[in-house]
Amino acid sequence: MTTLLQVDNLTKKYVNNNVVDAVSFELEEHTATALIGPNGAGKTTTLSMLAGLVSATSGALQFQGDAKQDIRSIIGFLPQYPKFFPWLSALEFTEMAARLSGVETKQATMDAKKTLEFVGLGDAVNKKTGTFSGGMKQRLGLAQAIVHKPKLLLLDEPVSALDPVGRRQVMDLLKELQQKTTILYSTHILNDAEEMTDQLLFLRQGKLVEHGSLDEVRTRYAEPRIVIEFEGEQELRRFTEVTKWQMTSKGLIVSIDIRSEKVEMSSVLSVLSVGKFLVRKVEWQTASLEDIFMKVAVV
Amino acid sequence: MNGLTVLVQKEWREHTRNFKMLWIPLVFIIFGIMEPVTNHFLPEIMKSVGNMPEGAEFLWPELKGEEIFLSLLGQYQTIGILVIILAFMGTISGERKNGTATLLYVRPMSFLNYFLSKWIVVNGIVLGSVWLGFMAAWYYIEILFNHVDAGEIVAFVATYSLWLVFVVTVVLALSAWLPTGGAAGLAILITLVYQVIDSLIGTYWTVSPWKLSVYASYWFKADSELTNLWMSSGLTVILIVILIVFGVVMSKRNAAKTTV
Repeated sequence: MTTLLQVDNLTKKYVNNNVVDAVSFELEEHTATALIGPNGAGKTTTLSMLAGLVSATSGALQFQGDAKQDIRSIIGFLPQYPKFFPWLSALEFTEMAARLSGVETKQATMDAKKTLEFVGLGDAVNKKTGTFSGGMKQRLGLAQAIVHKPKLLLLDEPVSALDPVGRRQVMDLLKELQQKTTILYSTHILNDAEEMTDQLLFLRQGKLVEHGSLDEVRTRYAEPRIVIEFEGEQELRRFTEVTKWQMTSKGLIVSIDIRSEKVEMSSVLSVLSVGKFLVRKVEWQTASLEDIFMKVAVV
Repeated sequence: MNGLTVLVQKEWREHTRNFKMLWIPLVFIIFGIMEPVTNHFLPEIMKSVGNMPEGAEFLWPELKGEEIFLSLLGQYQTIGILVIILAFMGTISGERKNGTATLLYVRPMSFLNYFLSKWIVVNGIVLGSVWLGFMAAWYYIEILFNHVDAGEIVAFVATYSLWLVFVVTVVLALSAWLPTGGAAGLAILITLVYQVIDSLIGTYWTVSPWKLSVYASYWFKADSELTNLWMSSGLTVILIVILIVFGVVMSKRNAAKTTV
């Protein structure tokens, strides 16, 4: 894998407040990285610095390739709430975005049409952006971000403002794009991060507090347990009397900590079978990304 | 250069579609027509609706075409400039505030092209409107008053145009620097209020952009001494260049303030 971007000690200070505090990470080519953190963690500021909108107080960004080139030409940026000139049509806006990124006029028109088709706005190319719904604006935002075929796509909460249907459609588009480009996106919708990520970056109060692949982070914070749901209270009581495993119970559900008890699923199933316990569900569980988020990203 | 063309095209589309390209020329043309027409028919108007006492006679001064041009310039100096400020005060600050600038600033465009595109199109609208206004006035002056030499009118309008380019540059540079309200307030102070100050205590200096509108009238007077006009024009051009540089620097510095 080739490193596309190396970020070293990126810092943004406003008066005495470090909004982004010495953040360092690398982005490999053709990977998707999720920037996770609660509101105010510094996600948008980090993306804005990478997009060239906000200058960093200190730190360095090193892009692969010609050091003299304007990095904005290889970046596509989608803000959380993209705003368009309402008097321009979708095609005019996307074409303008391509031309400003250095694409020749004729090519820009062709690319703009193709890109709008790709994001599902093929029927609305000549509609004024002022008449667009939230979902259409998000798609147009995506179109203007990818029309010049950027090497790095920066997306700020790309689906948080969408309804479930729009969210699904945009996520599918992003997964398709993942094959062609490198994606760094911020989100606090953890399902999205689980769905499309090669690397997770957890930000808290401007600091990078955890990073790694989904599996690495999960292993680090894993709390494997076997969860059993019984038919009734009597069954649950009988089970706790028969076994000596340390467990926690809530209602009709008991949870056995696998690491401390060194229990395997087979032995649990064997006990349940021999004792003819009436159960509704037996399940192996580990920490969800939400559990990890609560531990890592929230103070 | 390609960036400049794209941005000029964008500005052109914006002002066409929000009808500034239509209503601003209309305002200036209406003033251009009203000035000669009302001045010519003023005695009749006063006679019929002026509520003057029976038998009263009022000796109306005989106005010349050149004076009508100067009177129209007076209208443009107040209402015209106010229209320019109000129409274009949010040209840059407005884009920053509503977030539409964000998707431009993340492109590899130069802020010089960004500022110049606005400067070119706004000046085009303003100068086009004022020229059309003066042409409308000229037409009625020729019919209702006397013939005015075309060379004198061209020189008069050209001198006044330089002052208007200065006004437009002030408005755009302030819009790049301040939020819309602040830009409007300061632009009114610099262009309208300072005009009054300059006319009151400006006898101590003769070279000033604020005196260009007065110097423009020199073209209608034979044997006028034009040294101060040329020096004021030179100073205005220098100030315009400085203001453009300031506007470009401020556009770039304030790019981070755009709504993301």
